[in-house]
Amino acid sequence: MIPFTRRSFLNRNALGIGTVALGWLLKQDNLLATPKNVPQEKPHFDLKPKQSSHVPRAQAMISLFQHGGPSHMDLTDPKPQLTTFSGTQYSGDIEYSFVNAASKTLLGTRWRFSKHGECGTALSELLPHTARIVDDICLIRSMHTGANGHEVSIRYFHGGIPGIIGRPHMASWLLYGLGAETRELPAYMVLTDPGGHPIDGVNNWSNGFMPALFQGTVLRPTEPRILNLEAPAHLRGVPQQQNLDLLRALNRKHLKRHPGQNDLEARIASYELAARMQTAAHEALDISKETKATQDMYGVHEKETRDYGTRCLIARRLVERGVRFVQLFLGGQPWDNHRSLIKLLPAICRRTDKPSAALVSDLRQRGMLETTIVHWGGEIGRLPVVQDHGDPQKAGRDHNGQGFSIWLAGGGIKPGMTWGQTDEFGHRAVENVVTPNDLQATLLHLFGLDWQELVYHHNGQDQIITNGRPARVVDGLFA
Amino acid sequence: MSGVALQHGVAAVILGVAGANVDDPASDLTFESDIRPIFRAHCFDCHGATEELKGGLDLRLVRLMSRGGASGPAIEPGQPGESHLLDRIRSGEMPPGEKRLSEKEIGVVEAWIAGGAATARPEPEEIGLGFRVTPEDRDFWSYQPIQRPDVAELPSGARERTVIDALIRAAMPQGQGFAADADRITLIKRAYFGLTGLPPSPEDIAQWTSDGDRMWFERLIDVLLESPHYGERWARHWLDVSGYADSEGYTASDVGRDWAWKYRDWVIRALNEDKPFNRFIVEQLAGDELAGPRDGDLTDEQIELLTATGFLRMAADGTGSGANTAADRNQVVADTIRIVSTSLMGLSVHCAQCHDHRYDPILQTDYYSLRAIFEPALDWRDWKTPQQRHVSLYTQADRKRASEVEAETKIIADERAARLAAFMAEALDRELKKHDEPLRSQLRDAYRAPDEKRTEGQKKLLGQHPSINITPGTLYLYIPESTEKLQTYDDRITAVRAKKPKEEFLRVLIEPANHVPETHLFHRGDHEQPKQTVVPAGLTVLAAQGRRREFATNDESLATTGRRLAFARWLTDGGHPLFARVIINRVWMHHFGRGLVATPADLGRLGSRPTHPKLLDWLADEFVQGGWSLKQVHRLVMRSTVYRQASARPVQSGPSTPGPTALYATKPLLRLEAETICDRILAAAGSLDRTLFGPPVAITEDHSGQVVVDGEQRRRSLYLRVRRSQPVAMLQAFDAPVMEINCESRPVSTVATQSLMLMNGEFMLRQAAKLAVRAAQEAQPVEPEMRASLPQLAELDKALPGQIVRAWQLSLCRDPSTDELLLASRFLAQQTAWLHAHPKQLTKGATASRQAITNLCQTLLSCNEFLYID
Repeated sequence: MIPFTRRSFLNRNALGIGTVALGWLLKQDNLLATPKNVPQEKPHFDLKPKQSSHVPRAQAMISLFQHGGPSHMDLTDPKPQLTTFSGTQYSGDIEYSFVNAASKTLLGTRWRFSKHGECGTALSELLPHTARIVDDICLIRSMHTGANGHEVSIRYFHGGIPGIIGRPHMASWLLYGLGAETRELPAYMVLTDPGGHPIDGVNNWSNGFMPALFQGTVLRPTEPRILNLEAPAHLRGVPQQQNLDLLRALNRKHLKRHPGQNDLEARIASYELAARMQTAAHEALDISKETKATQDMYGVHEKETRDYGTRCLIARRLVERGVRFVQLFLGGQPWDNHRSLIKLLPAICRRTDKPSAALVSDLRQRGMLETTIVHWGGEIGRLPVVQDHGDPQKAGRDHNGQGFSIWLAGGGIKPGMTWGQTDEFGHRAVENVVTPNDLQATLLHLFGLDWQELVYHHNGQDQIITNGRPARVVDGLFA
Repeated sequence: MSGVALQHGVAAVILGVAGANVDDPASDLTFESDIRPIFRAHCFDCHGATEELKGGLDLRLVRLMSRGGASGPAIEPGQPGESHLLDRIRSGEMPPGEKRLSEKEIGVVEAWIAGGAATARPEPEEIGLGFRVTPEDRDFWSYQPIQRPDVAELPSGARERTVIDALIRAAMPQGQGFAADADRITLIKRAYFGLTGLPPSPEDIAQWTSDGDRMWFERLIDVLLESPHYGERWARHWLDVSGYADSEGYTASDVGRDWAWKYRDWVIRALNEDKPFNRFIVEQLAGDELAGPRDGDLTDEQIELLTATGFLRMAADGTGSGANTAADRNQVVADTIRIVSTSLMGLSVHCAQCHDHRYDPILQTDYYSLRAIFEPALDWRDWKTPQQRHVSLYTQADRKRASEVEAETKIIADERAARLAAFMAEALDRELKKHDEPLRSQLRDAYRAPDEKRTEGQKKLLGQHPSINITPGTLYLYIPESTEKLQTYDDRITAVRAKKPKEEFLRVLIEPANHVPETHLFHRGDHEQPKQTVVPAGLTVLAAQGRRREFATNDESLATTGRRLAFARWLTDGGHPLFARVIINRVWMHHFGRGLVATPADLGRLGSRPTHPKLLDWLADEFVQGGWSLKQVHRLVMRSTVYRQASARPVQSGPSTPGPTALYATKPLLRLEAETICDRILAAAGSLDRTLFGPPVAITEDHSGQVVVDGEQRRRSLYLRVRRSQPVAMLQAFDAPVMEINCESRPVSTVATQSLMLMNGEFMLRQAAKLAVRAAQEAQPVEPEMRASLPQLAELDKALPGQIVRAWQLSLCRDPSTDELLLASRFLAQQTAWLHAHPKQLTKGATASRQAITNLCQTLLSCNEFLYID
């Protein structure tokens, strides 16, 4: 077969922000017909499995993205000093986002921390389920973006530069470097929330300047779950089968009038592949195949965890079927607790804690955790000072990009450890600081890729994920 | 890191570039014909094409090789075993890097040395920089003048209606002939889609199938050439090669190109008028030089001429959106030259930007001479951003009115400023009231102190009370209603501004008067390494030895340099060997699915050779002699038997003859282009708005990030906004170009994505529903006999057979056969029954029979007969 470079459009000038859904498909089945025109001197892109630069420890990743900035002082990063000095004035400098309600009054956590597991990692009582998997995870307490804004930091985590859109998501880089393991499912899938899109919308799964086949495919919370791939409800099943039977009959008659036309035969065949993809997607999303015990573990039958649990379970099923990267998003930014922390923080914990922990346990039980990285975390954390609204019940915390926590598990990550520290009040990361670029370099390394050598030629320049920003592989995180 | 960095730039494509006379006796091999092409591809970069010769070795002349370099003689004529060069090549030591000469090429070199390392003629005494263009180079077919073939002796018979037929027939093997003429409906569809990109309506079909005139098809062609939709269809082809986009590309922001559409509309109009093609090109290359001085209001003619130069502004351009370095500017120039050369000359000259072209005889100096033609208008050292290049269409009267309106808005703006100040004071007062004296006064003073006069103490005070730092940007946090109040002033300003005459712009290339910059050759294409000055000129290979066509550096009769005008006139004077061939080849490609040269943007050595060189030249010559009328070329082509024959032969003709399509013994089957598919669907469903021209239709991203039309799609796809970073999903899936630079020819892919979009896509579902409604409204009762022939019908709605017939007519331009009617009726009966049994799968408000007929319509809109034209 002649290398087919039809989709190689964006190698230099053009770029893609949110291009075409189902871009992943574009390369999957071009064996069906030989193109009539083969453009010359263009790079070739596909999703065929590729050789990594060193032996990979991870094959897949599930990212549980916590939009808004989880309050690390109340969840993952105990600060006794903060509690002691709660109500007094903070002496350092602080950068606020909401200056009108800004204060320098320290606010100690209201929740109790205790040590868990054999490793003894301390977590707050708001995360009872995560507490049970502390021996499987590596808690990083020293994340740092240096910027307070949501979008600025989200884009940093996804695309490698703070605030800049139009760059490929880290998952796009993974696909570009490693290709896909499955032909019947998109290799990079995004599971959005029934509550709506996350903040920054479709930028969250952008392929940037890379071709559309590296774009995230959205698994919608409502039917049809995958646009174009899944039939709308009224066509599903028998009616669509009847349509396809009629189509085949018409096309066969037409082919008889045009004997030997390969294109026509290829198009008839393309419907068969399309149908196989539909079946595969449908099967992957069908969690009724799971045992009651598994469903319960994820909280599929409980009101608060139904949605997030279902999506975590689907994420596991997708990875099981060869999907390379799955990212879960929450609608809006439920962790953005500027006010009423006392009420809102427990609520979002109840939605996510159990399913997140279940995912790790389930992967471990199935032996998949060894090769699957799970990431949990937001783009920023929150300030140790109060964001005042005149009523203690309404007190909240403003943004903090200087220091916050995330956790990782599996895929070569050392379990049962903590990494890095923030200062005594939890404002700044001060020890073993990890930036989003460091995280990207580290994760790519686990996938067998060297972040400096994973080069994409664009705009006459060799692009890498960090765009030349300093980064390091944090090998202290490795098992 | 193997296999990861998929680099651009790609590998040497070795397409048997050597004269490849391997089978010939070695004595016939000459350096010029057989060896130079190999060395040029692999060796000249270091050993000949640049000033520094690696190892002191120059491979451009045989005697220089014999003399050799630092490692001694490179060859020993007659003794391949003693020839150092051969060792190095064979061991893989040379060329360095991963590229290798093929075994075949090495064999040719060895045979040539063994044969005495012959040259075709005595070698010159002097040799300049780079390689020379040799007689062998000039002999290549596409650099030769167009030669009108002698057609007197060609086959003639009933099937050879035209010279085209005779030329095609003459190239067929003995015994091969054309297929029978296609049936009338096929011909009508072929002509409609070919010329207008829209389907014939059932009424059109009825009219033309019943036309009794022997010359009906000729008349149909004439009628369609007069349709305004002809210009739309053929404009789309031209917009592909010119790289049309409604966005600037290049940077991540991919900012909009608000006025590109005026160029798009200019192309449509020019094609509809059948503007002579030479003029069509001259205006696009040098409209500003033709327009003359612009004093006062632009005349209509000037507006037309300037709009045409939009062609030279199609390259991606980030210089107005954050990428305005010397490298970025030079990229715009390089891309513009690339568009010009691929679209008008059928050559990829860009390879000569860094070094002499490896395969084609295009010198690096030629590249920069071509660049010199554009330099005065696209001068990277005196650059204008896209915004700065806009030309306003305001008249003096408009301008006067506009300034009156602006004066009016100034009054409101002053009121707004006063109100803002009041809000700021109010917010400050409220915040201050939260504090007691003396802190209150201290804070007030600190806040009011100008930045530079603020004391350290005041700064510290403010730092401790961050909420005092009120700015206009944070005012909304303190007094939320201030936003709305201030907005009322903005609204008033907007309302007043609406009274301004609408200011429109042209996206043009205008050369400034008296601007005569020098053009330098850039060493290795690097603008930071300028070398010698070059003059504007055409390609060396296109002229006889030593007579490259040079253009005046500065035409004194014009305010501008006149370089582009001179170039455009030379290109289109009828004597240029490439231009007319390139255009004719594209026209042929659009009618037959592939060009007479399969690589329409490369008529050089890496491109394909013409399958029918005589036909190409005959058509090119007709084009020139016929006054460059594109419509006349359509007539010539479409009246031929080659065009009119059927696309398929009867099956009983036995085993198919090899390559009947390549020989044009049948009309190739064509898949409709992306835009035509969408337009055909809209037309069938009755949704199509046939309005011509205007600003692009807005696009948007749906909830999953897929790019779709914003709102209901009704206009032809040509008018949808072409944003480089946001290709419309349905168009991209069916191979519409995503503009990087330009699109020389579209691939035709068959992938499951397309099937899925047709099965499940929103656009399809909506249009199928509309077609079903339309079929129901327009259905005629079918003949009783026909109904009687449909046994399943007892269960069916009596109106359904009529609806089936109408759906067929609207989608496939014909009545269903008895078989098909039966098939469709069975389908409807089956599906209706199933839906009755499963009412949950009915969409809201739909009846089972309407839903089933909708599904039938969707199937018709996605079947092969709909997507392909024979």
